[in-house]
Amino acid sequence: MSSSSTPDSLREDANRLALDEVEEAEELSRQRRPGSEEALGEGGDGGRGSGWVTAALAAPGLIWIGFYLLAPLVIIVLVSFWTWTDAGFDKTFTTANYSELFHDSTYWDNMLSTVITSAIAVVACLVLGFPVAYFLALKVQSLRVQIALFIIALAPFWTSFLTRAIAWTFPLMGREGALNQLLVKLHVISEPISEFGFSTLSVRLAMIQLYILFMITPLFFTLAQVDRSALEAARDLGANWWGAFREVILPQTMPGIVIGSIFIFVLTMGDYGTVATVGGGNITSVGTLIYSKIGAVQYPQGAASAVLLVVVLMVGVWVITRLSNLREEL
Amino acid sequence: MEEQGVETGGAAGAAPPTNQSGLDLIGLTKVFPGGTVAVDDVNLHVDHGEYVVLLGPSGCGKTTTLRMIGGHEFPTQGEILLDGQSLVDLPPHKRPTTTVFQHFALFPHRTTLQNVEFGLKMHGVKKDERREAAMRALDMVGLVPLADRKPNALSGGQQQRVALARVLVTKPKALLLDEPLGDLDRLLQLRMRVELRNLQRQLGLMFIHVTHNQEEALSMADRIVVMNDARIQQVADPLTIATKPATEVVARFMGDNNILRGVVKAHEGDRLIIEGDEQHLRVSVHAPGDGRAIGSPAMISVRAAAVTVEANGSGDGLNSAECEIVFVEFLGDLVKLHLLAGDERMLAKVGAEHYPSLRGREGERIRISWKEDDVQLLDA
Repeated sequence: MSSSSTPDSLREDANRLALDEVEEAEELSRQRRPGSEEALGEGGDGGRGSGWVTAALAAPGLIWIGFYLLAPLVIIVLVSFWTWTDAGFDKTFTTANYSELFHDSTYWDNMLSTVITSAIAVVACLVLGFPVAYFLALKVQSLRVQIALFIIALAPFWTSFLTRAIAWTFPLMGREGALNQLLVKLHVISEPISEFGFSTLSVRLAMIQLYILFMITPLFFTLAQVDRSALEAARDLGANWWGAFREVILPQTMPGIVIGSIFIFVLTMGDYGTVATVGGGNITSVGTLIYSKIGAVQYPQGAASAVLLVVVLMVGVWVITRLSNLREEL
Repeated sequence: MEEQGVETGGAAGAAPPTNQSGLDLIGLTKVFPGGTVAVDDVNLHVDHGEYVVLLGPSGCGKTTTLRMIGGHEFPTQGEILLDGQSLVDLPPHKRPTTTVFQHFALFPHRTTLQNVEFGLKMHGVKKDERREAAMRALDMVGLVPLADRKPNALSGGQQQRVALARVLVTKPKALLLDEPLGDLDRLLQLRMRVELRNLQRQLGLMFIHVTHNQEEALSMADRIVVMNDARIQQVADPLTIATKPATEVVARFMGDNNILRGVVKAHEGDRLIIEGDEQHLRVSVHAPGDGRAIGSPAMISVRAAAVTVEANGSGDGLNSAECEIVFVEFLGDLVKLHLLAGDERMLAKVGAEHYPSLRGREGERIRISWKEDDVQLLDA
């Protein structure tokens, strides 16, 4: 005991010497190995004058991004500053669409409720999806079983989105639906509650089920890469389950959490299919608003709404990444 | 405390530990689901301050044994006592042991300092206090200047030292090292052997080190435990392991041993005369009290390094052989002769000074001999 509790006595010159020798040995072994830096250097030299080649290689990707991503965005932004008349677009620059939107309380009410729906979906998918991904990646030992279970988890997603969305209307949440029947059987309620169906509640519940896989998948892949020996080391050094989880698993899983959260946030914010189907026309969101504006050929109005949505999305994504950084700094 | 320990040992129904201080493995057995017996009835006592190396080929059960001591595997049977107290039912974090894992298992998102202070943080030590202790541990391994680096910005040897500092800071009673030098390149391995052994001497801690590298075991251990096929083959100090292997498995695993199967031909006082099955070799071995009958099988080994090319004129044909040189292998400081005595393959390791006279003599015949003292009777 006494010998192990006096680290001060350990600092002896002999040890120091040994350490210096280790450094020296490492230096030597580094020299013996043909340095990776050299190889890199050669690569760099070879790249001289090859700017055109790089450009040529990058071209298909750039064209693709330009055509499918940048051009539509630019056009939408342009249109949002135009006016629609019976004769077509009036291309005089105007901010009228925006000022109108800023004073449109319906739009902002919908924006708020959509943000809340998205936030609920992100948090619920994370809370519900994490244990699933954790179990799949860390508790199941055999890779074969892991993949089999993962495919089974995917199974509901083999059916079409619409089928699953419709399941959340009459069959699950309707007056005669599964939820009402269950609650009546359990004597939680005496009469079926018809408000379950086509409600904000049913839309929000449906969102969680419809999108949870976008959380489970990145979580599963990041969890599967968690260094298990580091996990064992944490337990060995005195961490209980929670300590090991917080110190080893969570930091290593953060990329998966961020990616999953961004996926779900972006997808649910722009969602109008679920809202239209599950909400059955009673419920609106920013997505359905834009959809109805386009339907009513108010293109500039729709475009302005869409641009504002993108701005809100960017703020949301920024918040998500900030939250994850915050954790790192703690 | 100690009294209680005796009772625990007795209650387990296994052989009670002879010494309450130190680590005792009693009848330790691990059967994996599926029926693979990884560790079979291992009994071992390790003293505090002792450097013990578990040596064996991969799959021999050495790592599983270490993991059971550390609490990362649960024994199917048997008892693990540290200072008389059973560890079996304790999770890893409640055991006074810590493990240095094979690939260091550092936390990639934490700096060197954070890695080292982790154990103290988990034990609820206050921030200032654990910082100080961690810096002391880092100073011990000479890594203070790199305290703020993340593991991926460190070299292999530096990572190794972070892993050491990280476990030492928790002041374990026993340090368990799983192939601690396996990830380092050879030159660094050689240096780290010395460093690790120095550190252990200064700390006076019990180190249990797992490796498959014979040379590493010989150079570092106070005692070597050779394991094969889930069982302990031999427990002895490095010199004994190297010169007096107890079983054929040990003799083969340690390498460069001439192993000869034969039958007992005669008893001459304390000596046993054994003739090889191929009848080209006759060997005498000092074996007082060995009562095996004439004609019963026997196996012996002679170290290649104990074989000389100068004829030791005993004249009776014992402990010498006429061989054909198959290959002369020059190893810098010595020469390894690959020989054939009849159909029996033999090895001789002689000093480099013999190289000029041996070079290019493949196909020729040579007389080799060895001393009776260098003949080791093996258990089957």
